Amino acid sequence: MPRYASIWFPYLLTEYVARKEPDTRNVPFVLASRHRGRMVIDAVSELASRNSIRAGMVLADCKAIMPELQMFESEPEKAGNLLNALAEWCVRYSPFVGVDLPDTLILDTSGCTHLWGGEVEYIQTIVSKFKSFGYTAKIAISDTIGTSWAVARFGTEIIVKPGMQSIALKDLSPVALRLEPEILVKLRKLGLQRIGNFIDMPRSALRRRFGSTLPLRIGQALGQEIESILPVKPIEPYQERLSCLEPIPTATGIVIALQQLLETLCMRLESEGIGLRNSVFKAYRIDGNIQQIEIGTGLPSRNVNHLFKLFEHKIVTLEPDLGFELFVLEASKVEPMTAEQAEMWALSTQNDSKVAELLDRVAARIGEQAVCRYLPVEQYWPERSIKLASPLWEKSHTQWRTDWPRPVHLLSKPEPVFAAALLPDYPPMLFRYKGKVHNIIKSDGPERIEQEWWQADGLYRDYYCVEDENGGRYWVFRSGPYNTGQPEWFIHGFFA
Amino acid sequence: MDYTELQVTTNFSFLRGGSHPDEYMEQAVMLGYKQIAIADHNTLAGIVRAHVAAKKADIRLIIGCRLELFDAPPLLAYPTDKESYARLSELLSIGNRRAEKGKCHLYKSDVFKQAKGIKFIAIAPLSVNESFDFDDAFKLALKEYRQNLGDALYLGASRSYQSNDTKRMHRLWQLSTSLDIRLVATNDVYYHESERRQLQDVLTCIREKCTIQTAGFKLYPNAERHLKSADEMERLFRQYPDALIATQEIAEACQFSLDSLEYVYPKEITSEWRSPQEELEMLTWQGAKEKFDAKEFERMAKIIDMELEFMERKNYAAYFLTVYDFVRFARSRDILCQGRGSAANSVVCYCLGITSVDPSKFKVLFARFMSDARNEPPDIDVDFEHERREEVIQYIYEKYGRDRAAIVATVTQVHQKGAVRDVAKAMGLSSDAVDRLASCIWEFREQLDGEKVSSEGFDLSDPHLMKVLELTQQYVGFPRQLGQHTGGFIITQDKLSDLCPILNARMENRTNIEWNKDDIEALGFLKVDVLALGMLTCIRKAFDLAKQHYGLELSLASINKQDDPVVYEMISHADTLGVFQIESRAQMSMLPRLRPQCFYDLVIEVAIVRPGPIQGDMVHPYLRRRNGQEKVEYPSEELKEILGRTLGVPLFQEQAMEIAIVAAGFTPAEADGLRRSMATFKAKGKVSDWERKLVEGMIAKGYKEEFARRVFRQLEGFGSYGFPESHAASFALLVYVSSWIKCYYPDVFAAALLNSMPMGFYQPAQIVIDARKNGVEVRPVDINYSDWDNVLEEKAVKYCVLRLGFRQVKGLPAEDVQLLIAARLKPFNNVNALLDAGLTIGALEKLADADCFRSIGLDRRQALWEVSALSDSPIGLFEGQPSESKNEPQLSLPFLTEAAHVVEDYSTTGLSLKAHPVSFVRSQLNSLQVVPTGKLSEMKNGDSIRVAGLITVRQRPGTAKGVLFVTIEDESGFTNLVVWEKVFEKHRRDIIQARLLMVEGKLQIEGEVIHVIANRCFNLSSLLRNMTANTNVEAAVSTLSRSDEKNTEEVFYKGRNFK
Repeated sequence: MPRYASIWFPYLLTEYVARKEPDTRNVPFVLASRHRGRMVIDAVSELASRNSIRAGMVLADCKAIMPELQMFESEPEKAGNLLNALAEWCVRYSPFVGVDLPDTLILDTSGCTHLWGGEVEYIQTIVSKFKSFGYTAKIAISDTIGTSWAVARFGTEIIVKPGMQSIALKDLSPVALRLEPEILVKLRKLGLQRIGNFIDMPRSALRRRFGSTLPLRIGQALGQEIESILPVKPIEPYQERLSCLEPIPTATGIVIALQQLLETLCMRLESEGIGLRNSVFKAYRIDGNIQQIEIGTGLPSRNVNHLFKLFEHKIVTLEPDLGFELFVLEASKVEPMTAEQAEMWALSTQNDSKVAELLDRVAARIGEQAVCRYLPVEQYWPERSIKLASPLWEKSHTQWRTDWPRPVHLLSKPEPVFAAALLPDYPPMLFRYKGKVHNIIKSDGPERIEQEWWQADGLYRDYYCVEDENGGRYWVFRSGPYNTGQPEWFIHGFFA
Repeated sequence: MDYTELQVTTNFSFLRGGSHPDEYMEQAVMLGYKQIAIADHNTLAGIVRAHVAAKKADIRLIIGCRLELFDAPPLLAYPTDKESYARLSELLSIGNRRAEKGKCHLYKSDVFKQAKGIKFIAIAPLSVNESFDFDDAFKLALKEYRQNLGDALYLGASRSYQSNDTKRMHRLWQLSTSLDIRLVATNDVYYHESERRQLQDVLTCIREKCTIQTAGFKLYPNAERHLKSADEMERLFRQYPDALIATQEIAEACQFSLDSLEYVYPKEITSEWRSPQEELEMLTWQGAKEKFDAKEFERMAKIIDMELEFMERKNYAAYFLTVYDFVRFARSRDILCQGRGSAANSVVCYCLGITSVDPSKFKVLFARFMSDARNEPPDIDVDFEHERREEVIQYIYEKYGRDRAAIVATVTQVHQKGAVRDVAKAMGLSSDAVDRLASCIWEFREQLDGEKVSSEGFDLSDPHLMKVLELTQQYVGFPRQLGQHTGGFIITQDKLSDLCPILNARMENRTNIEWNKDDIEALGFLKVDVLALGMLTCIRKAFDLAKQHYGLELSLASINKQDDPVVYEMISHADTLGVFQIESRAQMSMLPRLRPQCFYDLVIEVAIVRPGPIQGDMVHPYLRRRNGQEKVEYPSEELKEILGRTLGVPLFQEQAMEIAIVAAGFTPAEADGLRRSMATFKAKGKVSDWERKLVEGMIAKGYKEEFARRVFRQLEGFGSYGFPESHAASFALLVYVSSWIKCYYPDVFAAALLNSMPMGFYQPAQIVIDARKNGVEVRPVDINYSDWDNVLEEKAVKYCVLRLGFRQVKGLPAEDVQLLIAARLKPFNNVNALLDAGLTIGALEKLADADCFRSIGLDRRQALWEVSALSDSPIGLFEGQPSESKNEPQLSLPFLTEAAHVVEDYSTTGLSLKAHPVSFVRSQLNSLQVVPTGKLSEMKNGDSIRVAGLITVRQRPGTAKGVLFVTIEDESGFTNLVVWEKVFEKHRRDIIQARLLMVEGKLQIEGEVIHVIANRCFNLSSLLRNMTANTNVEAAVSTLSRSDEKNTEEVFYKGRNFK
């Protein structure tokens, strides 16, 4: 006969927050998120729950009751991730651990508990272990998942002896049977407030009135219907190992090892539809020393040749001494590589994955900073109208404006010039820049650009496009109005 | 050289313009303009404001509009005379009526049709394309404009310092020469001064639903779109001087002013070729003969003559006839109605049947309010039954046509809270921060003396936050959208669209105009208010029931004919639950003190429990004087006339205003301006100016400063909750009528009230309790006896039996009830019969839950058990065969206790006839030494006691400085609690959460008025929860999570909360 344990975490999410931020341990707080314009509570800390604050209440109401209540925003899907992690950790107590959202783990304990000296000790061990992590856990063991679930939450005993489910459930509220709210409401209205009130009724009578869920749940709890758990599988790291019979001291040997490892790793990556962004190649020397080289790529990649090229010139930095006995290749950062992605890039004129690989190689040699790319930003102020973009994969949210006169070469910082201009706001007749006087023969402007007031204060600029007698074209501006003091002039760019 | 700005966008182009019309006018005067045009986007909504402001600033306004077209570049349009204005207005109406509210769909062909007499300016795109030229589409459109509009067309040119400005100007000039269209200079103004650019940017963000950080090129690059002086414009257009001359040309041509609009009453209101005055006189005398006996007639004839003469002089006959027309229609359809307002309380209105306030028993107020000196239009609001007002509205539309009748708009202004939300969001604050800021914005108004951080943790030294607050302050008071006035109608002889554009309202079948009531008042148009009043519906239903069951023919006027001491006795005992106006806690505690004896006492009662008199501290002096505890004296002889009827204490709005005129030397117009400025929340700065003026004026005339300040505070209270005597009189009539019904026919009253729900202060439970207290037998909802409405059955002892209707059952669909009633040819005797009648299982469950199956011997639990088995009734081929459940062994369901039944009753119908919930916990309350509320009157003033009951009302009036008033109810009655702020703060949680509240405190008995002053409060709701629980089982169950149990206490009414 199988035995199942149910571990219920009544304060899973709030205790997680308290673990991360110990300051919150002594204050009542809740996690809330926005539903139809109102902040609704998703999870309650133990302190807050003592003040009859419950999930599902509206935050504003609770604040009225308890002004000292603190609020954090809930993270969606946190519970699932957290439970999965806890389930993986629980594999030490049972090979079959299942997650029951939002706050419960189910363990198949058949044949496990004696290792801890019995079911009571088993439960105590787990509870105290979780307690040391900061989680409150309530556990019950019985023959069925259903009964364990019910008793962990609502029961007073923690162990239900084999075959005793019906008695254990008798006095519990129907909610312990994991039923939908509509059924619960109906049961309540009919006065069937305890499972004992109806557990012995003919199943056909129940099915007619409440649908098939109720008899199913009763059957599961009593062990008459089969229910199984879906065990979690721990994620294996993307790592490949190659141990050598003989220590390898030569570059050729290392190259072969690396190539082999890359091939197996990339094959695995391909089967899972992902590519690597960062990779570490570790070499274990026979004297215990570990050496490693690392590479990164701009786009996720599983191209063996390309990755090998990136590693290649770093191999020389390894010092084999008496030789390496073990090589490990790890993909420390992976990203999904989807078909759409490939397609989108293929649309542009160049083959971007080729360009990306080229850039990876260049960057690997001369450093990341050497490759620059700019994208337009929707701001008027010229210094802020462009931004440095990552080499290739960053896309622009806006188009380059081609209908405005903008220089091909914009100085990152405007440089002061001496200029002579007629009042009121005529363009300069000449300006002196780097000791050279430029006589203006043609000009256009002014274009007045104000500071983005929410970012910075300051004078506006009147920009002029000017052409000197040599046909050189410049973008110059006067800072501030023409009629106050001695306005300053600057040069800010060069036209083609 | 002179310059006239023609392209001005005000904030009536919602979320585009950054300045108010009056700000433009003032700025224009400062810049030395002689005239200025306003041209909002597809609307004329702001022009009346501009017109009024222009008059005040002494500048000429040119009316204009920017036409945004679907298929062509925008045009600015300026009518030159009244006819072309009418055409422009018509054009906008066409566009508005095509589109949903807030949009206007126009095409160039529409414009060409209405173009006669209008000057146009075509607007070119803001920037040129890559070859520094305009797209061909624009050039073609311009050519078409030129062909169709001829030389009324100009081409707008503006210099806003964008890139390629000069190239664009050059291209415009080229176009102007090649197409022979004169160039005209504008500055495309969006705000009156350059500092407003920031607000305008924020408005753009609100409009485009983005933040200032992400708005990018949706904003303008500079702050040049403000009004500029003629000199500056001349400098900017030095290459194109003709463009400046053209502005003057247009300005000269457009001499149209709103003053020339004439409002003409519709002619339909008269019959047989009589003039309106003749018609009015005929109808008045006809009515007078019917309403008055010979003796009264003689006395009234004089007053009627006087009133008619006045109306003739003021030319108001048509107005009164219009109101009469609505009233006559309503009467023909048996819709109750009642006029109120200064002009309604006239003998003429009584004769016409507009009001039922009998002038023979009430000193006529008309003369008091209407005088030649106060040159304001007459004011009649007509209340109709709220369920049937739409019929009246549709009658008006039908009779006069949609092109001649429309509802007045309301311009919704941005309030503090909305403003800070919008601005903070646009400034990129997180939604959480926006919420917090909105909740504590009131703190910032006081500039947080000394404190540097607000209660929500906002740091006042943060410049970004200060910018948000600064912009919020500018934004507050901006018009945000055009709404629909609650019922103000404007009706004209000619097409209404000649006067103002018409647009579709959000509600189906409604149209309204673009101007609000201040606008039409400024232009001297008259409007009639067609309002809805729930109490009239209730009274109408009561009249119907009285006719049906008692054979009475009742009307407002007939009941009001005499003052019945029995009715006043009931009122004096505050037995007024459900009665119009005097049913609130505050009113009820005032009634035994005031002890109204006659109609005018009711008028005072209605007016006295109001923020105005309370804030002005007028209530207690009045009570003392009335009870003879204080001498009646007057601050001065001149005020005796004004204050005589209220024993020297100003209680009505008119009195306060008259004091301002007589005692502080205000002109009538100033007094009115003072009242108005109180009403607008934003004029905070100006109010204190008024206060100084009033107080100084009164002191100069020898009044005490303290009295002057009191008068001012009263005015302040009146601002938001104005209650003039004329309105109070009309309301008092309804108070009397509803009291009379309640007094003599409590059965009729309760049924009518329940059938008019939701209305008033009380829940069905309280109405039923009150009816039973007054000797009415009430029977529960039942499948075999009930109707949808609550009905009266056979007469029991004194009154008819009230049978609750299906409308009391929460969530029961009316269609199912119709099926049920249709199938009820003979009584149902089993549940299946109902299913066969076509009711859904869901509806049957609701009926079972509400315990409606008692007449076939099933309680709610048994009924539900039966109903839930119906879902597998044999259908199709097997129809009619016995269902499987027939063969089921008899199962016994747990017994439902009486207490649990009551809880279920409350959760399904909001009331229970079986028992009061508190009676089930009485034994526990007894052990806590809780006194039943019914016993309080036997105790002594000052006793320390405990009371407990269900909370029915929590009230925290703004006039009472943090005091909370709570009404609780138990099986023996109800009582009022007073919770001082300190006690409230301490027991906040208990008071807010409690359904069942116990209070420990001091008893305060003042005659019949009983209060308990709370010292400590306890939430006893858990007692209620135990009402349903089987306690033996309960102990065995862990109470950690009880989410299954719908919290028993929650089925009880949470209590009405209001400020």
